[in-house]
Amino acid sequence: MKNRILKLAFALLITISAGAQKPTLFLGAKAHLGNGTVIENSAISIQNGKFQLIADASIIRIDPSAFDTIYRVNGIHMYPSFIVPNTTLGITEIDAVRASHDYSETGGFNPNIRTLIAYNSDSKVAKTVRTNGVLIAQVTPRGGRISGQSSVMHLDGWNWEDAALRIDDGIHLNWPASYYNTGWWAEPGESKQNKEYQNRVNEIETFLTKASAYAKSSNLMDLKMESMRNLFDGGKTLYIHADNANDMRDAIELSNKLHLKKLVIVGAEEALKITDLLLENSISLILNRVHRLPKSQDSPVDEPFTQVKKLHDAGVHFCLSYEGEMEAMGARNLSFTAGTTVAFGMDYEQAVKSITLNTAEILGVADEVGSIEKGKNATFFISSGEALDMRTNDVTKAYINGVAIDLNNHQKELFEKYKNR
Amino acid sequence: MKTIRIVALLFITQSVLAQETFPVNGVSNNFEPIYAFTNAHIVLNPTTEIPNGTLLIKGNEIIALDSNLNIPKGAIIKNVAGDYIYPSFIDLYSDYGLKEVQRGKYNYRPQYDSKKAGAYHWNEAIHPEINASTEWSKYNSEAKPYLENGFGAVLSHAKDGIARGTATFVALSDKTDNENILIKDAAAFYSFKKGVSKQKNPSSLMGSIALLRQTYFDAEWYELQNSQTNLSYNSFINQQELPQFFAINDELDYNRVYKIAEEFEIDYILKGSGKEFLRIDEVANTEFPIIIPINFPSSYDVSNAETTEWISLQNLKTWESAPYNPAILAKNGIEFCITAADLKDSKSFLKNLRLAITKGLNKGDALAALTTTPATLIDINDKVGSLAKGKLANFFIASKDIFENGIIYENWTLGEKHIINKKQEIDVRGYYTFIANEFENNLVAIEGINAKPKLTLFHLDSIALTTSLSGNNITFSNPNGTFRASGKYNNGHIIGNYQDSLGNYHSFRMQRDSLFENKEDQFELVIDNNTPSVWFPNKAHGFADTPQYKNVLFKNATVWTNEEIGILQNTDVAISEGKIIAIGTLLNPNDYFSEEEYQTIDASNYNLTCGVIDEHSHIAISRGVNEGSQAVTAEVSIADVINPNDHNIYRQLAGGTVASQLLHGSANPIGGQAAMVKLRWGANAEEMKIAGADGFIKFALGENVKQSNWGNFERIRFPQTRMGVEQVFYDAFYRAKAYQKQWEDYNNLSQKEKRNTTPPREDIELNTLVEILNSERFVTCHSYIQSEINMLMHVADSMGFTINTFTHILEGYKVADKMQEHGVGGSTFSDWWAYKFEVNDAIPYNATLLNNAGIITAINSDDAEMGRRLNQEAAKAVKYGRTSEEDAWKMVTLNPAKLLHLDAHMGSIKVGNDADIVLWTDNPLSIYAKVVQTYVDGKLMFDVEVDKELRARDKAERMRIIKLMSEDKNGGKKRKPQPTKEILYHCDTEHEE
Repeated sequence: MKNRILKLAFALLITISAGAQKPTLFLGAKAHLGNGTVIENSAISIQNGKFQLIADASIIRIDPSAFDTIYRVNGIHMYPSFIVPNTTLGITEIDAVRASHDYSETGGFNPNIRTLIAYNSDSKVAKTVRTNGVLIAQVTPRGGRISGQSSVMHLDGWNWEDAALRIDDGIHLNWPASYYNTGWWAEPGESKQNKEYQNRVNEIETFLTKASAYAKSSNLMDLKMESMRNLFDGGKTLYIHADNANDMRDAIELSNKLHLKKLVIVGAEEALKITDLLLENSISLILNRVHRLPKSQDSPVDEPFTQVKKLHDAGVHFCLSYEGEMEAMGARNLSFTAGTTVAFGMDYEQAVKSITLNTAEILGVADEVGSIEKGKNATFFISSGEALDMRTNDVTKAYINGVAIDLNNHQKELFEKYKNR
Repeated sequence: MKTIRIVALLFITQSVLAQETFPVNGVSNNFEPIYAFTNAHIVLNPTTEIPNGTLLIKGNEIIALDSNLNIPKGAIIKNVAGDYIYPSFIDLYSDYGLKEVQRGKYNYRPQYDSKKAGAYHWNEAIHPEINASTEWSKYNSEAKPYLENGFGAVLSHAKDGIARGTATFVALSDKTDNENILIKDAAAFYSFKKGVSKQKNPSSLMGSIALLRQTYFDAEWYELQNSQTNLSYNSFINQQELPQFFAINDELDYNRVYKIAEEFEIDYILKGSGKEFLRIDEVANTEFPIIIPINFPSSYDVSNAETTEWISLQNLKTWESAPYNPAILAKNGIEFCITAADLKDSKSFLKNLRLAITKGLNKGDALAALTTTPATLIDINDKVGSLAKGKLANFFIASKDIFENGIIYENWTLGEKHIINKKQEIDVRGYYTFIANEFENNLVAIEGINAKPKLTLFHLDSIALTTSLSGNNITFSNPNGTFRASGKYNNGHIIGNYQDSLGNYHSFRMQRDSLFENKEDQFELVIDNNTPSVWFPNKAHGFADTPQYKNVLFKNATVWTNEEIGILQNTDVAISEGKIIAIGTLLNPNDYFSEEEYQTIDASNYNLTCGVIDEHSHIAISRGVNEGSQAVTAEVSIADVINPNDHNIYRQLAGGTVASQLLHGSANPIGGQAAMVKLRWGANAEEMKIAGADGFIKFALGENVKQSNWGNFERIRFPQTRMGVEQVFYDAFYRAKAYQKQWEDYNNLSQKEKRNTTPPREDIELNTLVEILNSERFVTCHSYIQSEINMLMHVADSMGFTINTFTHILEGYKVADKMQEHGVGGSTFSDWWAYKFEVNDAIPYNATLLNNAGIITAINSDDAEMGRRLNQEAAKAVKYGRTSEEDAWKMVTLNPAKLLHLDAHMGSIKVGNDADIVLWTDNPLSIYAKVVQTYVDGKLMFDVEVDKELRARDKAERMRIIKLMSEDKNGGKKRKPQPTKEILYHCDTEHEE
């Protein structure tokens, strides 16, 4: 038996956990399980990459001999991996350098395009994101009407195969906007009604209808149609990116008409206008970045901050995303946006859930990750302070499938290099 | 002004004779009859009317006009009994008869130099040499809409460019061009819009302002020198004697033009936007006469509740208030003219004019705005603008009061008639008996409008027949063509024939038994004097009343002083007259507010701090943040283009931000001057500025200034590498030093010597650089990479000045020792990186490392969204670098105050400092901290409770106006509601003015 304290070197820990037969126990952490509950003084063990014991240490009796390693982590916080959905993290490095962009293919309907194989498991940016507790990302393509397929990836791995958690989890469709902007961004004209809106919607319907027919009958290989097949049997999710209430209504209507099995709406700026419809149809949402400006000059100044609590109260199922400018590098701030929703009324554990279990459920990976529950992957981290506040967020250890990952990164190295200069 | 008058008179005299110089093909038509318009209601001018008078004209002139006139023999008498005669309207903002200025073909490659051949100004937007009279020629189809609306003469110029050239004043007659030009060169025009010029400069409003100012200085210099010829300046100088017109864009431009007018002592006449009511005090303050359009916004289709939400309250309020604008101007004693310009449809001119009357515009003021005022402004009131003997025969005849429901029958210009609406001389309407062989004694009703009557023959149908009336000829027929009749009306009888279904003709006779009772002519003018309230700014969250100083005692707060005493628990703070007057425990309010009213706030659950100061912001800026058209644009200034209407001001107040440095962008190495403002929501642009603040200027290095990310065509402007950037700085400062010497040498001359020497040219760009050399202006430099940071410090050292602040400074941690040595501060992003190649080595530990090296370190936003939660960004210095909480907090308060030289009165909680106070629900560095109240100078600018009231008020105001809009019948075609996109500037935002 080797009871060890927290401060041991990483290399040693990795060696130990890699070869462990007996479980490792984390004792005393305030565990935010991700499912909405918290254990103030927890006893949590992992073995063979999975969570095993999830218990209240103040109630149960611990037999130290049953564990290979015991970390006493009193006063420290434990969370399941935060998950950033709907991000280009890993398929872009530098915004201004085109050569580093691998998120937008040319063409309108590209369901066969896959981010999976472009995923850079050594992304420098990703290494600065995971140090704040985000260990899983839904790497998502952009552009066109149908951008392509996302995959849910670990922010660690030797290669993309190794990093993949769920390959080709869904297809991303950008719903046509019923209004578009005229002028250019610095001198915007009045927005104009998109006269082509119905035509664009018809195109989508035609395309999906064909895919539906193909899924039932075809015996010849059509890459695009083949990639859509699983939308009709629940094997893949259709992510529709839409913000306007009316656009969302149309999208839901079409989805019902074509009997799509799993629909998720991404963006959903005006979701509060259609909560009943969302509930009736059990539609989940991936919300826009909380740290954004209000929709219009008339909007209340805290509109984006309070939206989350209102949706929660309405019973809508959702998770938070960080889509927008500088979304890849900014993904490390995901948890702070959840913190803001707490400031504006959300229950703390529910806010945690909105970046953990809810996200996992929406991405279809909740059987493996999203919460600290027995049998799920031991993909989690511990932070010396609570992690939704930048003032206290301090990730000291992070594990993917029970294996501690290296929390060093380019930025820390430069810091170390120059601080003692 | 006198000279112009002589020119004008000469020209008129010539124009009468002009046709005599023309050869005639055939025999001459030299007889000019006298026309006598009798029994007219003559409106001579805005104050005098003759209810029943006669007007005599001969040729192009009024020869007599009175209530009792002997009509000369042989005069052609036109009895216009009951009709109104008005002097023709005058429009001072027209381009009638001038070809539309064409925009050249789009070119991907930027154009930096002028492509105009000849000895002209270097900038294609400065073309005072354009002379409207040499380009002008009458154009009947363009004159028509003017004539239809009662205009008789217009001031025409090509509406293009910044110094646009001269305008010519012309009559709208069919006579020769020679006769129509009434004043050859009547005015000079200016604007802030560069127009069709494809040259890069100016690319922003502030660039236009600087270019125009420099042009005035250059013209002064040009007059004194004899080394070169520039035809643009020759024209520019000559036309200074003319009335000076300035076309502006919006209500904020008034003060911008006013500042130029003050600087160069010019009395402008401004062409306004029609939205003067938004900032009426500023408009009145200029004391300039103005020309306003009456292009009132049309109403929106508000039938769909959801899409109606896209219409901003600002647009709703503007829709409601705009028709009151002329009345508001009149009530404020502002001299104004009305133009038909900017209307989408010329047919809405009279309609909108009448709408303005119903909104309280006095008819006399309206007439003055269309006649005497414009005539006086271009000094031709002796010829046009009113009806009097000897003046030009420019007048129109209307059925009734033109400001109520009068129809214009004829518009006479230079004594020539234009028929606008044919006058229906006879009234055929009434109730007749129809007498014919086939059917007798049948009742016929002729009803409806006089000129478009509807005839009903009850024998055939009780529905009106298809009826047409021309002169006294009337035809009427039934829809299936089995009855088609025509006849002539005379004295209550209509005699004619009709064809029956078999093709046989029958004669008929109709005899009027009774007259039609005319209801349509009754018009009641209802004046609505309920001028809508204007908020500041006039949009959601705007203040109806400007916040005033408050006396407040905050009790038991956790006070972050930013002073040596640190964070104090259970402490009271008192503010009064905009200042912090006491800090301590258990303060007795009677010691501070013995006389005045005061308020006590229980702050025991709150953290009290000074307001957040953003060292690097681009909110609240009008029309362009970059003048990136040249490598050096030290002449431009953000202080000229502050936009107090930006709702981001209010949003940031809600995040505890109270002051910002509004910076020029980073498109060029030496950018423009900055503006130091407090976020005084509701104030005007000048009031937002921090009085007595030092002047700053933006410099920039790296990818933006070398245009790395601007696409493949932007490879022309120097510099394109960091190597070139260095040279731009050396060149600029060596030029500035030489310039400084030039002036010193000149100023050292004796009075006598000065008289014999041409003074150096005043150069506003170099003036600014000299200020930097003299440490009278301070540099904030956008920077990333250590090499360039080091370089600029070398440049500054060698030139004898110190860089005040490196902003962004993401590799500052690599050269912290050198920065410390140079004495420069740093204002950085908390954690931004990976957006450009040059930020590869940006680290979130930078602020901490700089701070640890003893450098004054701030964290800034450069972003409208981040600017409203800078407290969170400060907290990242705690997270990443383990900076102490007090130090981190200073990074967004005291340290930026120091970098901006504002720390003498801002940036800490200290007795005597400005009462810029924020109350937070939590430790301000926490993500859970929310702002409860924000005070700027002791005025409550944001309060969560007040904010709730404003939301309720805005909602009620919205619903009130939507109801009005639903009921609106004036609007004509309704606009579809549309979402509005916001303008948000960043450092690298390019904009075309």
